[in-house]
Amino acid sequence: MWSPIQQTPTCVVILFSIHFVLKAEKLLKANGISHDVIPVPREISSDCGMAVEFPCLAKERVLELLSSAGLRIAGLYSREGRDSFQAISPEELAAGVVN
Amino acid sequence: MPDKSAIYADNAATSFPKPRQVLDAVAAVLGSMSLSPGRSAHRFSLESSRLIFDTREALAEFFNCPDSSRIAFTCNVTEALNVGIFGLLGETLHPGDHVITTALEHNAVMRPLRHLEKTAGIGISILPVSGEGEVMVSELPRLMRDNTRLIVVNHVSNVTGAVADLEAIGRQKGEAFLLVDAAQSAGVFPIDVVRMNIDMLAFTGHKSLLGPTGSGGFYLRPGFGLRPLKMGGTGSNSETEIQPDFMPDCYEAGTPNTLGIAGLGAGLNFVTGTGLAVIRAHEQRLCRLFLDGLAQIKGVTVFGPPADRERAAVISLKVSGKSESEVAQRLDRDYHIMVRAGLHCAPAAHRAMGTFAEGTVRFSFGFFNTEADVTACLAALEIISGK
Repeated sequence: MWSPIQQTPTCVVILFSIHFVLKAEKLLKANGISHDVIPVPREISSDCGMAVEFPCLAKERVLELLSSAGLRIAGLYSREGRDSFQAISPEELAAGVVN
Repeated sequence: MPDKSAIYADNAATSFPKPRQVLDAVAAVLGSMSLSPGRSAHRFSLESSRLIFDTREALAEFFNCPDSSRIAFTCNVTEALNVGIFGLLGETLHPGDHVITTALEHNAVMRPLRHLEKTAGIGISILPVSGEGEVMVSELPRLMRDNTRLIVVNHVSNVTGAVADLEAIGRQKGEAFLLVDAAQSAGVFPIDVVRMNIDMLAFTGHKSLLGPTGSGGFYLRPGFGLRPLKMGGTGSNSETEIQPDFMPDCYEAGTPNTLGIAGLGAGLNFVTGTGLAVIRAHEQRLCRLFLDGLAQIKGVTVFGPPADRERAAVISLKVSGKSESEVAQRLDRDYHIMVRAGLHCAPAAHRAMGTFAEGTVRFSFGFFNTEADVTACLAALEIISGK
């Protein structure tokens, strides 16, 4: 199912458990960043957990919020299509070269 | 339907009645959503995950925990204390190490410690109590050794109602791990894990937090690990056969008691909405009224701190010439007053107070007791003690 926020390029962040997903949801909500809590896409992981999808435009702000709350990120992806995702490597994140 | 004429004075065992919102929360969850948080991706599962998350966040705020992920749910405070004491072995506590605890501990602490004394050769020193049933914190420095790795303290005694000075213990604990049993205090006395320098706080849902039985948990300070007592499915890291090493998942294998946690969340919400100070003031008023009245009844001896001291509304007493079970039975049968007689699962406390092995009659008042309840208890005791 396509979510409303996918009108714009989105990113998907994977966290270590549902607690951290919901913590991230709370942080994004409190900071007015549009988001969806979605099942972890099969293309990313075989895990049965949940993930958070948000507009890539807010990526830096989201990462900053998660980091300041001490939330460790298990993975970050950009959505390339309905079922297609591109991993954003830690190096790319650190260098800030993506988007 | 509850007996309207009955007086429930056994809140130290389990609080009763529960606030309406606790009943509603449990019923709403049971009737409206799936109970498998963190297990599936459908909306029912997500709703129950949110409910547990919200309760965890509320508890973290209530105890001033810096990070809500450091709170894990258990089925009661006994399980939380067992996770702490047994889980520390091989981590912070090693065979031959020294542990300090108090003479007021419940068997939920004493039995695990005595087991480790026998099986892992840990040494145990006991902080003594005063004649009024208060832990003598001033003795702590004298008991500390180079290998004291763990201090376990009952915040409020379920026998004497005395309150341990956690801040003083937290200041003097040095490198030792401070484990606090907050079974009787959480929901009545303020607890701040940062200010009190607490490494692990064990609490239960069914006493003064006004939740259902089967709910409870603990806070564990960041940087400390415990060996989990149980391993299994957590809904996370499912591709691996290794137990997760992060909280809260590592201590929460198996589907949790979603109903209990929902009720605990509602109970905590009632407590914070009412205000801890309001609850404490009410219980103190009842306690003082009861103690003042008892002082006028010949043949009644109270074991615990006097009314002018900070104490919980947990009052242990003896009636001269009457057995504890006889007093409790007459209170129930003739006056519909429910109390608890005996050792209250704390033989060490009764040894310290000189009331072993017969124990005491324990009255414990809660937020929903009234001054009329206390007056009725006094009137009944006056008759029982006189005959």
